[in-house]
Amino acid sequence: MKKKLSENILDKFSIDFLRNQVLKNAYGNSDTLIASLDPRILLIWYLFFGLTPWFANDLCFLMGSFLLVLVTTVMARVAGLVLLLFGVGVFTQTGYLFVAALFFGGDTSAISPLLILTLKVATCSLASITVFSGLDPDRLSNGLMWYGCPERLSFSISYAYRVLPMLMEEFQSILLSYRMRGNPPEHETLAGKARYLIYQVKVVIQAFYPLMLNTAKRSRTTVEALEIKGYRYAAVNRQVKKMKLSTLKVTYNDLLFLSVSFLWVAMSVLISTLI
Amino acid sequence: MNVIETENLNYSYPASDTPILKDISLQIEQGDFLAVIGNNGCGKSTFCKTLNGLIPHFIAGDYNGRVTVGGINTLEADVGTLACKAGYVYQDFENQIVRPTVLDDASYACLNYAMEDYRERGLEALKLCGLEGKEEDYIWQLSGGQTHLLALAGAVSLRPDILILDEPIAQLDPAHADRIYEVLRELNEEHGKTIIVIEHHTEYIADYCRHVMLMKNGKIAWKLPADEALRRVEELQECNIFPPQVTLAAYRMKKKGSLPEKVLLPTTILEGKKVFQNLRFKKNDMPRITEPRFREPAVEFRNVSVAFRSVKGEEKKVFQGLNLEIQKGEKVAVIGSNGAGKSTMMKLMTGLLKPAGGEVRLNGESLRKKKPEGLSGQISLVYQNPEEMFIKDTIAADISYAMKVRGVKDYEKRTEELLKRFRLWELREQDGRLLSGGQMRRASLAIGIALNPSILLLDEPTANLDIATRREIMKTLTEMKDITETVMIATHDMQLVCEWADRILVLSEGKLAADGTRDEIFRDSALVERVGIRPPEIFYMGQVLDPTAYCYTIDEFIDAFSEEKKEETA
Repeated sequence: MKKKLSENILDKFSIDFLRNQVLKNAYGNSDTLIASLDPRILLIWYLFFGLTPWFANDLCFLMGSFLLVLVTTVMARVAGLVLLLFGVGVFTQTGYLFVAALFFGGDTSAISPLLILTLKVATCSLASITVFSGLDPDRLSNGLMWYGCPERLSFSISYAYRVLPMLMEEFQSILLSYRMRGNPPEHETLAGKARYLIYQVKVVIQAFYPLMLNTAKRSRTTVEALEIKGYRYAAVNRQVKKMKLSTLKVTYNDLLFLSVSFLWVAMSVLISTLI
Repeated sequence: MNVIETENLNYSYPASDTPILKDISLQIEQGDFLAVIGNNGCGKSTFCKTLNGLIPHFIAGDYNGRVTVGGINTLEADVGTLACKAGYVYQDFENQIVRPTVLDDASYACLNYAMEDYRERGLEALKLCGLEGKEEDYIWQLSGGQTHLLALAGAVSLRPDILILDEPIAQLDPAHADRIYEVLRELNEEHGKTIIVIEHHTEYIADYCRHVMLMKNGKIAWKLPADEALRRVEELQECNIFPPQVTLAAYRMKKKGSLPEKVLLPTTILEGKKVFQNLRFKKNDMPRITEPRFREPAVEFRNVSVAFRSVKGEEKKVFQGLNLEIQKGEKVAVIGSNGAGKSTMMKLMTGLLKPAGGEVRLNGESLRKKKPEGLSGQISLVYQNPEEMFIKDTIAADISYAMKVRGVKDYEKRTEELLKRFRLWELREQDGRLLSGGQMRRASLAIGIALNPSILLLDEPTANLDIATRREIMKTLTEMKDITETVMIATHDMQLVCEWADRILVLSEGKLAADGTRDEIFRDSALVERVGIRPPEIFYMGQVLDPTAYCYTIDEFIDAFSEEKKEETA
């Protein structure tokens, strides 16, 4: 593990891969059913599955919700990296407790309460993943704007996705500069490996200075271009907001999606009362 | 009718005492196609920004004088109104694009100004700019040329009468550059737009522009019809602008006496044909002395393939089964259109990128297990974008970095030498990013050769440079002969290729389309056509005059066409 870790940061974990995952997550799944749903409906749906699990303790209901969001996550074709982060996240939230409980002489009776906690965390996370990475950023920001979020927030969301790949590319080139000119410590021995790891972390941190300056230089043009393109006018103009939101439409699919979700949840509640 | 009028315009940037624009008075007619030329830093971009109101509305500063655009005084209108009069495309156009999809970006300004028909306007602009069928594409799927056209479409969608473009073709290969200018010509001729370009490719000015305006130290030296302007060879050279090769050749031949004194200098190949028609082609097929090639290989590519992941669909293959050997001591130029794999090839050689299949060998050793850090004494890569090479806060620290971390003895002395050699000594305490284009390029070269690498790779070393800087870089390249044995340059600059390289590699769609001397490459007209490369203008000139003439430089042309045709004139 240690060996892998020390080699990983710069060698295998490529920025190119990260960039690809980010883009894939944002735009690579625009042809799925989830992506075609109305963002306003999805946000309501998310509100339900993001909140109710925290107030419910019924295993059957939680299990039902979990299965449902699991299906929607699969349907949204979420990028692998996000799912991996989800897995790690859930484990560090609750999974380790179970391991710790076993280690300190506990038995399988710890499973049940931990399962409930895990299901809650997992349901919320998967619901967020479905909505925030299944929808493309523009539709998401339009949905938020409809609910009254300020224009600046919604612009920031879609602009972040616009610059993120550029930032990452820039970051990669700077790291490559360090790689070409730097002189990392030998890492044959264990101590060497630790030094190497520290060296890599240092490089990543130092790379931020040129990254920020280069980005600042680039954004000069962007700021001027935004001014020309009337971004500041639009932010205060109601007419523009209306025009932007006129593309949102609730369709048959949206209603179907809502009713299937509702039926499913109702069923799980029904089953739990029968048991 | 004048669409732009300026009167006694003076301007200096905030926190700067020296005015950048001095007393500019000018009229530009409706429907003109004007090229603005001048030294780096003479105020061309600043002048253009006064036309769309960015100066003084967005960038303050000391402003006086009067600018009217389409009858509106820019002081009295806001940036939005002016944006509908004059569209602007930046030199770093990719930073101008703010939306993720093509149609979205093209219609974004119209939406912001609350135009009901914003979608239609976007579609119309895309059509005018030749991006039909790309509406739903994501911007990172576009090539460099297409991205530029999209930036143009974003400006066109507001239906301005005037379009201003800052160095539109600086980063593009000839095929894409032609495309941009064809679109501009159509906008100018069919749709009556007034076009203003900041441009230093005089060949394009001769072919497309009607007027030329020369700026010198913040002042307008003159504004003249294009051909008349380009004939002022001495004045252009003084301002570090290359006149078209045809013009320059005729100018020098006039001085030499092989052309009569009264002849009008040609600016295009068509005119050149008339001027040079009485000259006889003297066969001077002296093959360039090239040393034998059977030496030690410096770099070997063995069956190399590389692929990149893509967001949607299959991965993109850059190379497939590439085989190549580069010998020690060679001067190699790599050419090919944007995206043909030139930069990828260089990254493979430095070990920054590992091939998916096959292997790359450097000085006889496989790079498969090597780390780029361990190779920096042998091979060095200078990026196309010098800013990415600056990792410290002063250029002195940047140049010394690689030596310092390797514990090179006397690294301070060597840094000093390098700084002096590249004439950066006075600038040593500055951040590299704040230098001018030419200084940045020199600094990046100094960083590149700090460790005395035997192989030097340069990615587009002459892009965006005026002649003075370009000449300087060329000089440096020759000077560095004693240090670097093997040099490889990736470039679109065919004059550089013809003057400097003794071996040319042509990349096209991930394959090595051709490999040989300039004669072997440029004489093969089918190949030139297929891979979209373009020999220098002077080569075409020679060809038009005599199909057996192959002149790659102006000197060769002057030598080859120095005598009059006897049988006809007698």
